[in-house]
Amino acid sequence: MPMIRSRVPGLIWPGLPGPYGDAHLALLWQLERSQWWRADVLHAHQLRQLAVVLAHAAKNVPFYRAKLAGMDLAACATSEGWAGLPILTRSDIQAAGAQLRAEAIPREHGRFHEIQTSGSTGKPIRAFGSDITSFFWNVLTLRGHLWHKHDFSGKLASIRVFDEGVGSPPKGMSVPAWGHATDVAWITGPGALLNLATASVSQQAEWLQREAPDYLLTHPSNLAALVREMGPRPAVLPNLREVWTIAESLDANVRRFVEEEWQLRVVDTYSSRECGYLATQCPMSDHYHVHSESVLVEVLDDAGQPVKPGEVGRVLISTLHNYATPLLRYEIGDYAEVGAPCPCGRGLPTLSRIVGRQRNMLTLPDGEKRWPRCGYDQFMDIVPVRQLRLVQRSLHTIDAEIVTERPLTESESAALVGIIHEALGHPFEIRLDYVAEIPRGPGGKFEEFLSAIDRASESTET
Amino acid sequence: MNINAATPKSTAGIVWPALPEPRAAALLALQYQLEQTEWWSAEALREAQMNQLGALLHHAYETIPFYRKRLSAAGYQPNKPLTAEIFARIPLLRRSEIQAQGKALLSQQVHPAHGRVTTGVTSGSMGRPITYFGTELAQYFWQAFTLREHVWHGRDIMGRMAAIRSELDDAVAPTWGPPTSMVFPTVSCATLGVRTDVSAQLDWLLKHEVEYLLSYPTNVRALAEASLARKVQLNRLLEVRTLGEMVDPDLRALCRQAWGVGLVDIYSAREVGYLALQCPDHEHYHVQSENVLVEVLDDHDNPCAVGEIGRVVVSTLNNFAMPLIRYEILDHAEVGASCPCGRGLPVLKRILGRQRNMVTFPNGHRHWPSTGYKEWSTRLPILQAQIVQRSLTIVEAKLVPTRPLTPADETEFAAILHRSLGYPFEIVFSYHQKIPRSAGGKFEDFLSEVG
Repeated sequence: MPMIRSRVPGLIWPGLPGPYGDAHLALLWQLERSQWWRADVLHAHQLRQLAVVLAHAAKNVPFYRAKLAGMDLAACATSEGWAGLPILTRSDIQAAGAQLRAEAIPREHGRFHEIQTSGSTGKPIRAFGSDITSFFWNVLTLRGHLWHKHDFSGKLASIRVFDEGVGSPPKGMSVPAWGHATDVAWITGPGALLNLATASVSQQAEWLQREAPDYLLTHPSNLAALVREMGPRPAVLPNLREVWTIAESLDANVRRFVEEEWQLRVVDTYSSRECGYLATQCPMSDHYHVHSESVLVEVLDDAGQPVKPGEVGRVLISTLHNYATPLLRYEIGDYAEVGAPCPCGRGLPTLSRIVGRQRNMLTLPDGEKRWPRCGYDQFMDIVPVRQLRLVQRSLHTIDAEIVTERPLTESESAALVGIIHEALGHPFEIRLDYVAEIPRGPGGKFEEFLSAIDRASESTET
Repeated sequence: MNINAATPKSTAGIVWPALPEPRAAALLALQYQLEQTEWWSAEALREAQMNQLGALLHHAYETIPFYRKRLSAAGYQPNKPLTAEIFARIPLLRRSEIQAQGKALLSQQVHPAHGRVTTGVTSGSMGRPITYFGTELAQYFWQAFTLREHVWHGRDIMGRMAAIRSELDDAVAPTWGPPTSMVFPTVSCATLGVRTDVSAQLDWLLKHEVEYLLSYPTNVRALAEASLARKVQLNRLLEVRTLGEMVDPDLRALCRQAWGVGLVDIYSAREVGYLALQCPDHEHYHVQSENVLVEVLDDHDNPCAVGEIGRVVVSTLNNFAMPLIRYEILDHAEVGASCPCGRGLPVLKRILGRQRNMVTFPNGHRHWPSTGYKEWSTRLPILQAQIVQRSLTIVEAKLVPTRPLTPADETEFAAILHRSLGYPFEIVFSYHQKIPRSAGGKFEDFLSEVG
């Protein structure tokens, strides 16, 4: 039974965590209810809140003061009127600079803090958050834990990018608890941190063996590499119950590979630095529930119309509580597939896949675009390839950057090309490019497919 | 707007989801926790209670000499975890002891985090009020359980409330009052003193057109009967809420008959707070285990099994000013089976009232009697009756008649009473203009002066 931390001497149970913890639990009390509301009820509440944000933005944010001048804001904050608001692109944000920062925010929103995305391939963007946006981040972190019934007494190991010097291999870093979000109200088991920026996969495997965690948090690509390194359900990780993935798109192939090899569940979260938590995997299925209490997510087709369940479209985000840099109809650069209503009964809208970014899109010679299947790691048993990345150079040519222990034989090369053709669904010209290492991008992200022929959309960082 | 779908009051220029002010957030935070704990197993709840009682007993031992002596004698050692065995050895705390000890039961070292020490006096229906002390923290728990009761029963916060109780003036407050109005926007609450003439009460209710009525069971009964007699409806009424007295099963049926609404009962006591609340799905009660440890004990002080009736013994978990440890509150209750709703909170099937409401036969047998109300109220010209057992063989029938009773009426009344009480007591009749309520506004239709 997860026990709430009590800050009142003598009172152990029920625990009273103090004002900051109370605020979190009070919001969780609401979220416990709102998650079951019908989609239209949720949307009506979102519009109520967005009406306030619009009014704030028009009054206090220079960029919006100009952009929204003369618009009927009350009419915008309706189901019919919302689509009339202009879309905010990454270039708009870059161009607006300080004009997007509110001149004033309500006192209770606390301090501004700067958010800078890492800019994996493109120019980073700058925005500001407040104590309130951090608070929602915490609460939605907690929602994820509570949805998936995580045992707070367990040990959590995190392999992700930390500041330089934090969690350096081989030792990593031990911390007494899971982190800030859980600390506000719960007592948790210990945590252990290892820096993905500097730890090799073999160092990670040794470290995990020493730490023997109950839960592991890391990037999907790194998880796949770890599973390959450590093999099927390693006896050296006897306690591991679940793996949580963040920061990159989790391909269905990778999920299946990890879940089959390690015989445990992978739980994925979709978030971004500038918008916070966007969606978290449903406790009962593999798809994602949008956190409608924090963001309005629209998924639009090329004509700007909402896509139907089963279709993929561009993701637009509107933040409900960032009064420091309100992001309204912000085209984040991701594509997602809209899901059907969830059998779990939650009314929170679903995304069945986060398919990635435009730069991860394959273009066929006839101009058709699609997201290629990833998670090639699982095919690597056939050929001795340690790392692989595909870069589309033209409509007909793909460079396959590979890291191998030795040059491939002719038959191995042919097998690899065959695998790639199958994954891409077209017989592209494949040029093998032997490299010493394929480094992760900023933020520790690894992209298995990159298009060099369409760079219109910039990156999103999580 | 059902409270479960309502948006709390908010701050920070945010409308949804709400960011409540700190006191309201604290109440919702505890609701969040209670919504987890109510589903815990009985064993898990008991373990958590024993942990909390361990902390309370330690405090009592260290700061209240009365308890130091009592706990030591039971084998309690402050440096060792509290066990169920040790706890069961602590003698029951009688009302008379609380009266006799007075401020000696008050801790002089309550941590400032528990807030100021508060005090109050119980209603003392039988002329034996006790003075109790609490803390602001204990008040906060009281409020949290009030809110839980609204949440459990999914009340409409846009519904108007009427409270007819003791010590209330005829007035209309703009909100339901704390704690609900601290957290949610609520509408009005009309109040009226329970000593108001029943017909006038009914007129008042017709005028105020409320959705909820809170009062004592006997008063609700009188109102329902008056409604039926006058053939008037309370059209907007959604629910009757009762507290303070025991609820006869037929009162629920009467509310349905008169107004087409259900009845939700509350079991609380001023000196301990909420003991049990009616299940959202059933007519029985769930012990508020996060507030009190309730034991139901037989005549040998052993725990009663399911289906057995025993004395209610209560230990408060969060009152560090005047801890009441194994306090015999003088109520009786029937232990219920686990609830099909799935909540792990223990079940009380019925609250049977106080020992003073039990009839005693000459052979020593005791039970809670019916007074045959249904029969005499329809067949005889009697407005109100109170039966008082004066001795093992004699009961007094105090009656408020609409016309003088004939000898035949008295004979019929006696026959009804004999059947209802289960023994052919000698019946002495007395006639009254009115039978007043007790100091706390309560009315008991059977009282025993025996034992």
